[in-house]
Amino acid sequence: MTVAPTRPVRPRVARGLAGRGAANLALLVVGFAFVIPMVWVVAAAFNGTAGLSVSWPQPWTFDNFRAVLNVETTYRPMLNGLLLCGGGTLVTMVGAVLAAYPLSRYRSRWSRPFLLTILFATGLPITAIMVPVYGLFVQINLIDTVLGTVLFMATSALPISIWLTKNFMDGVPVELEEAAWTDGASPMQALRHIILPLMWPGMSVVAIYTFIGLWGNFFVPFVLLLSNDQLPASVSIFTFFGQYGEIVYGQLAAYSLLYSLPAVVLYLFLARRLGGAFNFGGAVKG
Amino acid sequence: MTTVQLEHPHAQRRRTLVRGLPLAPAVVLMLVFLLGPILYCLYSAFTDMALTGSSETSFVGFENFRKIFTSDEFGRALGYTLFFTIVSAIIGQNVLGMFLALTMRAGGPVARAVVSAVVIGAWVLPEVVAGYLWLAFLGEDGPLNQILGFLHLPTQDWLFSLPILAVSLANIWRGTAFSMLVYSAALSEVPREIEEAATMDGAGTIRRLVSVTIPMVRRTIATNLMLITLQTLSVFGLIWTMTRGGPSGASTTLPLFAYQQAFQLSQLGYGTALALVLLALGGVFSLIYLRILRLEDGVR
Amino acid sequence: MSTFSRRALLGAFAGTSTAAALAACGAGGSGDSSKTVKVVFRQFGANTVQTDFLAAVKKEFEAANSGITVEFEPVKAGESDYSTKLQLLMRSPRTAPDIVYEDTFLINSDIEAGYLSALDDRLSSWEDWSQFIPAAKAAAKALDGKTYGVPDGTDTRALWYNKELFEQAGLPTEWEPANWEEILEAARTIKSALPDVTPLNIYTGTGVGEATTITGYEMLLYGTGPNPLFDPDAQKWVIGSQGVRDVLTFYATVFSEGLGPDIKQALNPDFGNTVNQQMIPEGRLAISFDGSYACGSWLPTGPTPWPEWSEVMGVVGVPTQNGDGPKVSMSGGWTYAIPNNAQNPDGAWEFIKTVASQKNQTTYAINQVQIPVRTDVAADPEYTAANPTNEFFAELVKNTQYRPAYSVYPRISDAIQRATEAVSTGESTPQEAAAEYDSRVKEAAGDAVIEASS
Repeated sequence: MTVAPTRPVRPRVARGLAGRGAANLALLVVGFAFVIPMVWVVAAAFNGTAGLSVSWPQPWTFDNFRAVLNVETTYRPMLNGLLLCGGGTLVTMVGAVLAAYPLSRYRSRWSRPFLLTILFATGLPITAIMVPVYGLFVQINLIDTVLGTVLFMATSALPISIWLTKNFMDGVPVELEEAAWTDGASPMQALRHIILPLMWPGMSVVAIYTFIGLWGNFFVPFVLLLSNDQLPASVSIFTFFGQYGEIVYGQLAAYSLLYSLPAVVLYLFLARRLGGAFNFGGAVKG
Repeated sequence: MTTVQLEHPHAQRRRTLVRGLPLAPAVVLMLVFLLGPILYCLYSAFTDMALTGSSETSFVGFENFRKIFTSDEFGRALGYTLFFTIVSAIIGQNVLGMFLALTMRAGGPVARAVVSAVVIGAWVLPEVVAGYLWLAFLGEDGPLNQILGFLHLPTQDWLFSLPILAVSLANIWRGTAFSMLVYSAALSEVPREIEEAATMDGAGTIRRLVSVTIPMVRRTIATNLMLITLQTLSVFGLIWTMTRGGPSGASTTLPLFAYQQAFQLSQLGYGTALALVLLALGGVFSLIYLRILRLEDGVR
Repeated sequence: MSTFSRRALLGAFAGTSTAAALAACGAGGSGDSSKTVKVVFRQFGANTVQTDFLAAVKKEFEAANSGITVEFEPVKAGESDYSTKLQLLMRSPRTAPDIVYEDTFLINSDIEAGYLSALDDRLSSWEDWSQFIPAAKAAAKALDGKTYGVPDGTDTRALWYNKELFEQAGLPTEWEPANWEEILEAARTIKSALPDVTPLNIYTGTGVGEATTITGYEMLLYGTGPNPLFDPDAQKWVIGSQGVRDVLTFYATVFSEGLGPDIKQALNPDFGNTVNQQMIPEGRLAISFDGSYACGSWLPTGPTPWPEWSEVMGVVGVPTQNGDGPKVSMSGGWTYAIPNNAQNPDGAWEFIKTVASQKNQTTYAINQVQIPVRTDVAADPEYTAANPTNEFFAELVKNTQYRPAYSVYPRISDAIQRATEAVSTGESTPQEAAAEYDSRVKEAAGDAVIEASS
């Protein structure tokens, strides 16, 4: 690496502190830019007379939350959503990790065509696909079943999850695995004990991405589940739209905040894995 | 770069099968649930299916595609789609996501947690609510104009005068979280020792980024670009909520155009064919990314 | 993945061989189908009026028809999602409901796709049918001349005006415009007397969608002569008419003279809510073309309760262009229909008759603030007393018209919205926009167009 020789090297500590200050400032600015548009949804949630303009709550009230916090609108759909999306995420993760292993570890001329095919297959409009899928589900008796819906939701999330998982698995040095093989471990044992622990940050991203994608998916459960009491949280959004397009903005905003909670909590829970304190590179190359 | 060549020149077919076995659960699921429906969907693009013509559907070959490529409105929609994808995904989400991932690595834990939670929050709000929120934000008396007024800057009316920019900004806001997460995870796999070595050698921050850190995650950059491009090409709900594709069609991207053709205007085969064109567009972008990756990557 | 092409796909896939094969295995149904009647309807928002109403009707019905159980499946969804779900359900005999609740705006797509069964034989032997006003009888009549649905109410349209603002501007609080020019004159008076108030709102552009077509444009167009949009005898769409140019000139006048709302706001997809939840209650809008349902926003159960509305707001019918003939009104609304794949069509018909009885329709019209389509309900004193504007809007039903909502209608409506947008922004003259409209109609309807006679 060529380095400009004239440049004086500053003491590392001072440099680190200055860098951290600058980084914090930059984060603050970007964070501010992201928060400002959200002012509407937060203000409207506590506003007794919310409209589509940003204004200080008038009157300030919890009525919107009170109105949406009931079994019909919030509790049951949330539980259904956790069941459907949690289950779907689990199936997707297992499928994606298993599939990513051979794709990442063995070279085959089929890998790339396979990966590209599944990726592009998911680019087709889901609604177009749901028409024949509905027929299929009626035929094999999976219509209106939670199991069938979980499996389909998981399948629809698989291609991108496999892509991401393979990408992160490629980043785990194979040298670590080779040591395990010398000790007589099978590839699956190596995957479980060596690779997975090392790619937790990546797996957290796949899990969050999959969960949020499924959480926001209205159409698939709407088509595959017939009875209302099985539908997930995304469907309750329509509670706030009237026959002539009139919208109860305050309640919609309050519900949106509640609706976003599970995904944000999941993120905060997994975020510690993402922090960057984690560093295995030194184990090999240090 | 980490893939190892374990196979001998005359590897047993059987061993290939055993090695491929972990693929089975995913492949079985996709074969059962997706293969048939996708083939059926592809078939419809070559027919004259329409809302009312269920009994008279016939195979029309490439007629739908010919109609697409000779229509002025398609050209406009394609232009808006490219603008939307390049500005909001390739530039906006991608660069901002990388910037956030890098600064979060250098920033303090509190700032990191707060900012990332906010960015994730923008992502998990329901799409239609994100649309309303941006309508309110960009509105005549909305916060953006109040801030601009406070700073004595000219106010904006982008929803009316430049709707494609308005929806692009909204999509950057909504979609950056994904790139941020992907890059954060990838960067956490970069050994700090290498970066520190570069710092010891006297490399400045920018230089260190360009010549050390970013090259180490370039495979992830390509993957991320590919995924966000495909996602952005098909963004529908956000634009629909904010503008309905207007005014005067000035934010009608291809998904909205296809929706108008297929749903509102009852031309089904045409709409599905448009979806395929959209996919082909994604394919072109992907080829470019893979090409760049391969050029820079001697191993593969 | 995006959400487009949903409804169109469904319609088209319905009759194809694969779909039929997939659906066929579902035949047989569950249990003894003659013992149940399954009803699917769209539940709007948190409003449970219809749910509660149907629950009461179920009780009455089951008491009168022992052995039959009524099952409800309310669907909460957006417009296109709802029709998708209906079409999917109706495709397979195994999942097909016995009764579906269909929007008159969209029912023709399902009729033409072969999903619904004609009710003519049943209607001819049902004496209550004579109580339905002629326009409403035709609400679910397809191009084949058969009737596929029984309407449960409708909406009508008129001018809402703010009496307080009228008084301040020196206009009569009992306003009665005799023709289009008098509407514009009142707006001009308000503009000069109350510069901070928006004088007149008429929906325009593609943003608010169908509201532009039915609540704005068609309210004027149907005042320019008989059958100005679609010729029912020739079964063709009308082009080249002076009426279209006159309506577009009205729009151009409103927006170029500054009588209308800020065009930037008016093109916003959510403008309808801005009008009824903000501009009108805040006294910032004087006159507005809108529906009988507009007061729904101001009722105690609505999104922005406004107790004073019945004092402040007046309603008056929209005059024809030159003041000849009765007031103009356009109507939409919903109907009950029976799918071809219904397992228990006879039970379904009995239930529909119960729902549509005089007693039940009176209850429904009162609770849902609907405009009744039965003359005996409209005349019911209990109904007219329930809401200050009920009598007025119910009276309009006599001369109201339904849209020619055949399958090509959405494209015609799109052409209308684009034409109004072009003249409202000043992008095109009324002449240019009318020519553009004609060419779009020709593209949409093919041969099914006819030159206006005058």
